[in-house]
Amino acid sequence: MSSPAEEALRAAVRDLARQARPAPDLAAGAMRRGRRLRARRRAAVAAAAALVAVAAVALPFVLLRPESPVRPAVPEPTATVTPTPELLPTPGPSWSASPLALPGGWVVTGAGRGGSSQGGSGWVLDRSQGRYRPVQGYDGVWPAPEGTLTALADEDRPGEIGLADAARRRTDWFRTGKWLMQPQWSPDGRRLLLTIQGEGEPMRLGVLDADGGVRTFPVDTDRYFCTDYCFFTWAGDGREVALQQTGSGGPQSESARHPRRGVQLFSAEDGRPTRFVAMPGDPAGPWAWSPNGRLVVVQGQREPLLVETADGRVVRSLPAADAAFVTDDRLLYRRPYGDRDFVLADPTGRELVRQPLPPELVDRIVTVAPS
Amino acid sequence: MAEVTDGEFTAFVNDRGEALLRVAYALAGSQHGAEDLLQNALAKAYTRWPQIRGDAEPYVRRILYHDQVSGWRRRARRPEVPLDALPEVPAERDSGHDADLRMLLRDALLTLPPRQRAVLTLRYLEDLSVEQTAALLGCRTGTVASQASRALAKLRRLVPAFAEYADRPEVSR
Repeated sequence: MSSPAEEALRAAVRDLARQARPAPDLAAGAMRRGRRLRARRRAAVAAAAALVAVAAVALPFVLLRPESPVRPAVPEPTATVTPTPELLPTPGPSWSASPLALPGGWVVTGAGRGGSSQGGSGWVLDRSQGRYRPVQGYDGVWPAPEGTLTALADEDRPGEIGLADAARRRTDWFRTGKWLMQPQWSPDGRRLLLTIQGEGEPMRLGVLDADGGVRTFPVDTDRYFCTDYCFFTWAGDGREVALQQTGSGGPQSESARHPRRGVQLFSAEDGRPTRFVAMPGDPAGPWAWSPNGRLVVVQGQREPLLVETADGRVVRSLPAADAAFVTDDRLLYRRPYGDRDFVLADPTGRELVRQPLPPELVDRIVTVAPS
Repeated sequence: MAEVTDGEFTAFVNDRGEALLRVAYALAGSQHGAEDLLQNALAKAYTRWPQIRGDAEPYVRRILYHDQVSGWRRRARRPEVPLDALPEVPAERDSGHDADLRMLLRDALLTLPPRQRAVLTLRYLEDLSVEQTAALLGCRTGTVASQASRALAKLRRLVPAFAEYADRPEVSR
C-alpha cells in the first residue's frame, strides 16, 4: 500500500503465516480440551459453594482456610559479609510442598505459565497450608502479597476481576470496567489497583477493595501528561499511586522509551493529586521504593536505574528494573537473562546471595512478596 | 443439544480452522505452538458456543491475540532465534534479492517479543489500523505505535537490507 519496506514486511509476515501446515483433528482436540476446561470450572464453583474441604487435587483454583501460617525458612544472612555471592541449593522435586524462601526473608507467591500449552497453568502459594496449589484455566492470576486473596482474570468475563478468598473459600467476580495492563496489589494485600480505560473514554484510577467495592477517579491526563507506557502503580507507602509523566525536553522517538520527568502521585483514597516526584523512569510498584523513601528503582529510557527521590538524581544503573527493596540497603531481583535464580544484592549492585528456582519455574513469570 | 453444538462447532473449525491456524502460526512462530495456541482458543470458544455461535471467528481471534500477549501465558523465556542463527545477508543484490529479504525478515520476525509480533501480525497480516489493533489488544494507540516502532527498529538492526528499504520512504506506523 505504501513504501517498499512496508510491502516487504507485509510479504514476510504472510510468508510466515503460510508456513502453517493443516492440523488434523483440530475440532476434536479443541472439544476435548473445552470439556476439560468446563469441568474444571464447574468443579471449582461446586467446591466453593459447598464449602467443603478440598484435597490437594488439580482444580482451577483451590485455597483453604488459613489456620497457622507456615513461615518459610529464611536463608542465613552470613552471605552479607562474603565477597562473592553465596549460591544456595536448588529446591528439590517436592518444592511445591512448602513455601519457596528467597534471600532477604521473601517468598515466591505464584508462578504463571509461559506459553499456552498448559492452558495458563501455574501455582499459587496457599499461605494457610504452607504449600503451592495448582491453578489452571484463568487468563490472569495475581496472588496478593499478604493475606488470603488472589485476583483472577477470565477472557470470558471482560471488564471484571475475580477475587478468590481463601479465608471464605469462595470466588466472587466484580465489574470494574475495562482495565489495561495488569492489576497491582497494595502492599497490605487489601486493595487492587486498576488502570481503567474503556474505548474512547478518559483514563481513570480504579481501586477494587477486598470487599468488592470499586472506586474510580478521573485523571486529568492533559495536566498529568503521559505517553508510551501509562498505567498506575502503587507507591511505597501503599496510600498513594504513581502515574508516569512524560518529559517535555528532548526528542521523542517511537523506537525507544519516552523520556520521563517523574511520576505524579495521587491519593488512592480519593484520587486527589498529591505530589510530584522527579525521576527519569518508571517505578514498577510499591517494592521499587526503599522503605525509608529515599531511593527508588526505575526503568530508565535505556537501562534500570537507582534514583534519589529527593531530587531525581541517578545514583547508578542496576541489572534489573523489577527489583524489590527488601530493606533500605538490600535489593531482591531475578537475575536478567538467567531467569534461573533470584539474587539479593546491595544498592551498589554487589551480589550477596543467589537462590536458584526449581526447574519447573525457570520459564515462568514468578511473583514474590515478603514472607 | 450437545450434538447440535458439536456439529456446528466442528463445521466452524473445518471451515475457518486453516485461516485461523495461519494467524496462530504468525503469532507463535512454529507449527506446534500455533496448534496449541489455536486449540486453546477454540476450546474456550467451544465452552461458550451457545453465546458466540454467530460471532465465533472474532471471538477466537481475540483470544488468540490475548493469549499471545497475556503476561500469565507469555513465555518468560521466549523461543527467540539467536542472532547468529540468522542467515547471512547477501553481499550483492541479485534477482533473488526480494526473496532473500523476505526470508531474512521472516526469520527476524521470530526474534520479536510476543507483543511486538502480535502488533505486526494485526497490522500487516490482518491489515488492521492502529486504532483497531489497540482496541483488539486492549491497550492505547500510543502503545501500539511504540510496539510497532520498536519491532521495526529491531528488524532494521537484524536485517540491514530492510533498513535500506526503510530508510528510503519511512515505514508508516
